Amino acid sequence: MRSVDELVLPEALGYTENHEWARKDGSEVVAGITDYAQEELGDIVYAELPEIGQSFEKGAEFGTVESVKAVAELYMPVAGEITGINQELENRPDLVNEDPYGRGWLVTIKPADPGEIQSLMDKTAYYELLKGL
Amino acid sequence: MSSEPKQTPLFQRHRELGANFSVFGGYRMPLWYPSGAKTEHLAVICRAGLFDTSHMAAIRVSGPGAPELLQQCCTRDLERCFGKDKRPLMPGMAAYGAYLNKSGGVIDDTLIYQLAHQDYLSVVNAGQGAVVSDHLRTTGGNSQVDVTDLTDRLGKLDLQGPASVAILMKTLENPGNVLADLLYFSFKADQEIFPAWQTRVRLGENIPLMLSRSGYTGEMGFELFVRPQDLIAAWDLLLAAGQKEELIPCGLAARDSLRTGAVLPLSHQDIGDWPFIHHPWHIALAFTPDGTGFTKQFIGSRALLEPDRPFYTCAFVGYDLRKIAVSKNAPPQVLDEAGKPAGIVLTCVTEMAIGRDSGSRVYSVSSPDKPEGFEPRGLCCGFVRLVRPPEPGEIVSLNDGRRKIRVELTRDIRPDRSAGKDINQIIEELS
Repeated sequence: MRSVDELVLPEALGYTENHEWARKDGSEVVAGITDYAQEELGDIVYAELPEIGQSFEKGAEFGTVESVKAVAELYMPVAGEITGINQELENRPDLVNEDPYGRGWLVTIKPADPGEIQSLMDKTAYYELLKGL
Repeated sequence: MSSEPKQTPLFQRHRELGANFSVFGGYRMPLWYPSGAKTEHLAVICRAGLFDTSHMAAIRVSGPGAPELLQQCCTRDLERCFGKDKRPLMPGMAAYGAYLNKSGGVIDDTLIYQLAHQDYLSVVNAGQGAVVSDHLRTTGGNSQVDVTDLTDRLGKLDLQGPASVAILMKTLENPGNVLADLLYFSFKADQEIFPAWQTRVRLGENIPLMLSRSGYTGEMGFELFVRPQDLIAAWDLLLAAGQKEELIPCGLAARDSLRTGAVLPLSHQDIGDWPFIHHPWHIALAFTPDGTGFTKQFIGSRALLEPDRPFYTCAFVGYDLRKIAVSKNAPPQVLDEAGKPAGIVLTCVTEMAIGRDSGSRVYSVSSPDKPEGFEPRGLCCGFVRLVRPPEPGEIVSLNDGRRKIRVELTRDIRPDRSAGKDINQIIEELS
């Protein structure tokens, strides 16, 4: 198992205590799970994602990812409406393990409050949280 | 159990291999290695995997009173347990059974290896050595029997998968002699491990061991009992020798999904503090031929025949790989076709080596008659405990409060397992 220092934590992302990440992409927010989360879960074998058009509050459960052993809930990093889901995961759920910040993204969100992403933890704060686990 | 988890002598090796750890039975054990639980699961079915199982507890039960004590405590009738003609357990053979309390609930399950006349090794689950030893000592009372917990004096590795025979052919001293005619659930031991054995059973030249053709995966494989000081050398030797067979280290996650697919119970989860009857593990119970009673009395036997709260444990297999989350405190519900509660879910995992064809038949990657181009995506499977008998082929729903999935109650999960294959034929094919 990699130590916290070996985990990939990109600079420009916002992080949640449930180990989701969020990145601003124009007027939308892209979200996924962190390197730490994918490593803890192990082989992801299935991702259950919401319907496009559904709206959720910040912190609300919007889907699940499953490993061989466990089912993990996914929580909204910011409030908003789902505008896209990663269709590629249907056949390649392992992309969440392989490239959690890239091809393993989960959903795109039209945020209810475009400023809300600023309230998420930055890399340093999330690193400190992981150190404390 | 102390709060600081114990480690096996292989802990450093697991760290170097990059394992993800979890605490199980009081030990910090590898959950999976960087190859991942899915790859490890498939490796054991198609090739071979190596597990550190030194966390399991081993208890030596010996002396003139040993046979009677085990007959009194174990659900298996050790006087009538082998073959069609129900021969007694004998040195070199092992039998699966369980230890029950007076109410018929499970203290733990065990594999009992008969080492010699009046001399047995009972392997139980991690962290259960003291509990079971106490139970045996208390029951034995003043009878002439010695109960010794060997847990920290015996290391254990499980080499599992169809290629495990080829790997042992390369690593055992005199492999032909050791492996020939080694039946499923039989073993041989080196004199230095158990002096009653006059044989030499060694990995390389210097690692004496007890080699048992058994395991917890449903696949062809072996349990290797070695001295703790030889564990690292044995682990390294096997991994190096198994490179051609693509032998990989495997963790507890793969062990759990493999044993579920093979319809083997996990103690304190699929069997537990409820009467140990009406389940898929009939072999562990000393039933009379007509199935209405037992061939011997044992602790808990009376309660099993008249349980005041009968439960019925049954395997299930789903239609896709989606699972439900199983929490022990609030176990997910089983609902019958009318939506009526019928029981609870005990285990739910994804078996990554199986899938259904268009006709809904379940195949495994190792099924000889699998459909062309068969690439399974996995099926959810596990065990449920019902409050009434299951009907064969019955469809039920499992509900964890957030998700409801349909599954089929079944006798078997992963078809075409290799555990019982003819070892002599495999040896012949290799030479």
